[in-house]
Amino acid sequence: MVECDFPECTTFGSVIRFALELEKGAVGVYDELSKEPKAAAAAESFKALAAAHKKRGELLEFTRQQKLNEMILEPIQDMIREAYIIDTRTPKGVDVKAAAKFAAKIEETSAKFYLDAAKIAKNLMAEAARIMDKLGKESLANKAKLEAL
Amino acid sequence: MALLSEVKKDYGKLKNYVNGEWIDSTSDKVIDIENPSTGEIIGKVPMSAADETKAAIEAAHEAWWAWRETPPITRGRVFFKLKELIEQHFENVARIMVQEQGKTIDEARGETRRTIENVEVAAGIPSLMMGYGLEDGGAEGIDEDAVISPLGVFGAICPFNFPAMIPYWFWPYAVASGNTYIIKPSSQVPITQNYLTKLVEQAGFPPGVLNIVNGSHEVSDTLMEHPKVKGISFVGSSPVAKYIYKHSAEYGKRVQAQGGAKNSLVVMPDCVLDRTVSNMLASYYGCAGQRCLAGSNLVAIGDIAEPLLKKWVEASKKIRMGYGLDESVNMGPVVSAKAKKKVLEYIDSAEHDGAKILLDGRKAKVPGYEKGHFVGTTVIDQVTPDMKVAKEEIFGPVVTYLRMDSMDDALDFIHSSPFGNAASVYTSSGKTAREFRYKCQCGNIGINVGVVAAMAYFPFAGYKDSFFGDLHGQGQDAIKFFTDRKVVITRWF
Repeated sequence: MVECDFPECTTFGSVIRFALELEKGAVGVYDELSKEPKAAAAAESFKALAAAHKKRGELLEFTRQQKLNEMILEPIQDMIREAYIIDTRTPKGVDVKAAAKFAAKIEETSAKFYLDAAKIAKNLMAEAARIMDKLGKESLANKAKLEAL
Repeated sequence: MALLSEVKKDYGKLKNYVNGEWIDSTSDKVIDIENPSTGEIIGKVPMSAADETKAAIEAAHEAWWAWRETPPITRGRVFFKLKELIEQHFENVARIMVQEQGKTIDEARGETRRTIENVEVAAGIPSLMMGYGLEDGGAEGIDEDAVISPLGVFGAICPFNFPAMIPYWFWPYAVASGNTYIIKPSSQVPITQNYLTKLVEQAGFPPGVLNIVNGSHEVSDTLMEHPKVKGISFVGSSPVAKYIYKHSAEYGKRVQAQGGAKNSLVVMPDCVLDRTVSNMLASYYGCAGQRCLAGSNLVAIGDIAEPLLKKWVEASKKIRMGYGLDESVNMGPVVSAKAKKKVLEYIDSAEHDGAKILLDGRKAKVPGYEKGHFVGTTVIDQVTPDMKVAKEEIFGPVVTYLRMDSMDDALDFIHSSPFGNAASVYTSSGKTAREFRYKCQCGNIGINVGVVAAMAYFPFAGYKDSFFGDLHGQGQDAIKFFTDRKVVITRWF
């Protein structure tokens, strides 16, 4: 299980922090699922998803460092933390179907987080909104792939 | 949410950076550097003496000619290296700022980005300091050229509210254009500049090109009075800015002295209310109101006054206060116990003058940070233009709410202030916005923008008592301040 520390989403920085925790959680879950013997047939897919989520984390770090300025320091008051928390307690002894179902739930929650964050970021900074929107759509695509496994 | 880690708990006694070396001050006088969120002492800063300042000036003067002869493109390259180093140390720079100044980590990251942007603009010095010429400009066969030349040693006397960025409004432009420089950081927040200067050292600037002298009046007076210093840049309060301007001018210096502010944000009945409220929160409460571009007076026009006030108070109540290393915090403390006392006195005076305190931050506490200098968000209603809180700079998270009948009334009120730093209007009418930007006599105008912070490639300064001088900080203005035009007329026999 990966320990995540999800903050209240009250600032741009805390939204990015939340996103980084989501990515960290997803990487950890996919790593563990890729080592699950009963789900070995999907191990490569899980490894690829772990790598993709790691890369997303790097993009978020870059966004935080490069895009933040005083123009987007408005407080964020409409994102309820509890709606976006993912379960990172990876189940043990699961087959491909059950593993994919567990991971799909993470992608679904992540997609909701990013697409909601994109709507808020749109009012603050279009570049950040585009990145959030991209990540949200990627999560939806990942969910679809997982459901097809 | 766990706090982000501090870079260090204790930064020790800071050294001066003179002629490429970190040296202990010879002064016995030191003052404590306090973390305004925790009340902990995180370092000590020496109050350097006049002789130490003179030694730095001599070192800068010695370094000047060789640096001036270094081709602009080569000088620019060192700034590219510095940019890369600050990028690598980005998070540390931001976290140190939170520790010593109290701002939130997002604010500190934003400031670090602004700091880098000034380095990026200065790195383009070959284009920025090109002169101009005209063949046959003197007469037939006689050409005339204007070349842009550096002048020598310059110095900056810096404030506490932007420990990283404000020195970078000046020194990168001065040094890139071939001058040498001395920074006196604020004695309340010297650690950030100390850290950044270690990166300057790594970047490869020759010894003496940039120097740091920590201290107070003695350092400032020496910089202003020394014959080898060509100009002074200053940011701080208006009375001090005026003194710096006069005193430096007496000694033949160029001066750019940025002073205080009392900024009004004017909200028209046709504003987009939700977006307006959200945007103004960053202006009034960002950096706990300790910005020369912070909103202070909130002027509601006509029948927007009641709905705006209701939403404003609701939103203000939701601002989370705390130690800025918690990323979910919206607002940190003010910088010191003295600053807090001053802000509280202003709130008391408003109450005494008959205004109504709708949201009172005087007794706000942050659990676990009882020694922090926190002032909660404060909204004061029924303020009239003659009240002290409507006229003077408070420099805290205090909103003084005024109601007026028209934009012209608001402009008359803005123009009655001795300050002229910034003003904003919130409206959905292009005509109203155009009229506001045309008529308003302030140096920085916001149209649906509450923090009118000029980017590095635009000049920054206010009007009236908010600025003493003519050439502003940043961009082309900065280049002009740090250089002179030399005309060369050429004829070949």
